[in-house]
Amino acid sequence: MISKMERAVNYVVLTLMALIVLFPIGTFVTSALSPDRSGKPVGIADFQWDNFATAWRDAGFSRAMAVSMIIAVCVVAGQVLLALLGGYAFGVLGVVGDRVLFPIVLLGMMISLEAIIVPLYYQFRTLGLTNTLPGIILIHLGMGVPFGVFWMRAAFRALPRSAFESAEMDGAGPLRMLRSMAAPMARPAIYTLILLSFMWTWNDYFLSLVFLHGENQTATVALGVFQGKYVTQINLMAAGGLIVAAPVLVLYVAFQRKFISGMLAGAIKE
Amino acid sequence: MPAPAQIRPAQAAVVRRRPLRRRTRWVGLAFAALPLAVYALVVLVPLGQSVQYSFFKWDGVSASTWVGFDNYVSFVTDPVLRSTFGHVLVLIGFFALLPIVLGLLSAALLTRAKQPGMAVYRWIFFLPQVMTTVVIALVFKRIYAPDGPLNQALRAVGLDSFAKTWLGDFTWALPALGLIGTWVTFGFCMVLFISGTSAIAPELYEAARMDGAGPVREFFAVTLPGLRGQLAIALTLTITASLRTFDLVWITTHGGPGTSTLTPAVALYKAAFQNPQIGLAAAIGVVMALLCLVIAVVITRVSERD
Repeated sequence: MISKMERAVNYVVLTLMALIVLFPIGTFVTSALSPDRSGKPVGIADFQWDNFATAWRDAGFSRAMAVSMIIAVCVVAGQVLLALLGGYAFGVLGVVGDRVLFPIVLLGMMISLEAIIVPLYYQFRTLGLTNTLPGIILIHLGMGVPFGVFWMRAAFRALPRSAFESAEMDGAGPLRMLRSMAAPMARPAIYTLILLSFMWTWNDYFLSLVFLHGENQTATVALGVFQGKYVTQINLMAAGGLIVAAPVLVLYVAFQRKFISGMLAGAIKE
Repeated sequence: MPAPAQIRPAQAAVVRRRPLRRRTRWVGLAFAALPLAVYALVVLVPLGQSVQYSFFKWDGVSASTWVGFDNYVSFVTDPVLRSTFGHVLVLIGFFALLPIVLGLLSAALLTRAKQPGMAVYRWIFFLPQVMTTVVIALVFKRIYAPDGPLNQALRAVGLDSFAKTWLGDFTWALPALGLIGTWVTFGFCMVLFISGTSAIAPELYEAARMDGAGPVREFFAVTLPGLRGQLAIALTLTITASLRTFDLVWITTHGGPGTSTLTPAVALYKAAFQNPQIGLAAAIGVVMALLCLVIAVVITRVSERD
């Protein structure tokens, strides 16, 4: 057992580190609530909650947030489907040529977007897919396949073998086994995949910056434009930042355990 | 790189599960076809094309001309482009080494007992990981602003001469950006290492103490070797992140002032989409991808060597 002293030292270290993380965010939040353009912190009574409404209106966030939401929801749905199919194939059924194919899929986790963005843009331009939502959704999906397959394969392999064997005895085909048994049993892993995939898609900036503009701007890119225009209105800029961060933060508050364990386990993903 | 470690269990499984598997491997290929097709279309084909593009000079409109390795040569000889490597080295110090040292220190300081409240701390340490870089960039733009909290604090303690426009300063902009990376990463490293130390067998620590090892020797003899796997993960992630820095720089400094915070990814973006030298952009992308791969392979190899 550890002594009281050791315990106290632990808390001091942890609290100090925590304060370093929280301080910048704290100043940002107080800026967002300040009636002063320079974002000077004020007392609770003077908080100007209108800043959020003003920023929302001025930055045109209704449109941008809707675009981000559509992209994120489509990507998450597609991602789960692809990961289920791929993970089930590589983890349970086995795949012809998997000694070659699976390493190639895993290699994708190491391939950075920068390595493919140039041809991707010019090819998609020829196909008329730049500045379209289906275009960017497709790219997110393709980039997400390696992690998704890796993740669901591990989840399916952790399921008891006997379940598959007895289901097969009952004459269940591979598709029915996936739908009615494997997928429901791997539900915790699927939830984690949904959360991580939503976060990665929502937080994306580079891909949206390259592929989408004007009407199709995502929330992160719209925020970048907004902060460029409102350099002197710190309070509105901060309010806008919190609006864009909010969806993922809400999920993080609600499902913190899944986020943290998922990110630690999935740390090998880029 | 995770690949080699992943292959071994798969092969073992093929042997063990043959009866079920043999009949299903073609079905498996059918199941995997859709994900594989999307992956090939979006990642593998453009990857090949990147290599192809990198041997041409092309402005995106007129016809392209074959230039061999010229684009690669200019990436390493052009003074501005070459300087991006130096910037990455500085960023590695801030994105990788500093957070890892801080993470190790805190993991060593924290005794390995389960404490109540750890979940709350973990939540806080992971907070920067879930925030989009755009917002993080804005948070720190505020901190570093001429009238921002950092300069106010300096003036308050009488260090007025140190107050400056941090992100607009030729000398200080890069370290200032680097510290943002430190802030984002150290909590992650800390949690990773704390979870790692709690998995080290307590007997090892007892044995070290019996041998009369002090806290420092204990750290180097037990904790550090025990964290080998976590160190490899942290190094790979943070070094490749430093190499790939884009969002943070693009939103705060656009690579400036001058080119003092230009990173390879920002140079790539400018070459690809602003004053199109598409071959050069592709070459930068290919070099970045190769470097990431080499870094990952080297770190994995070193960490697995006994």
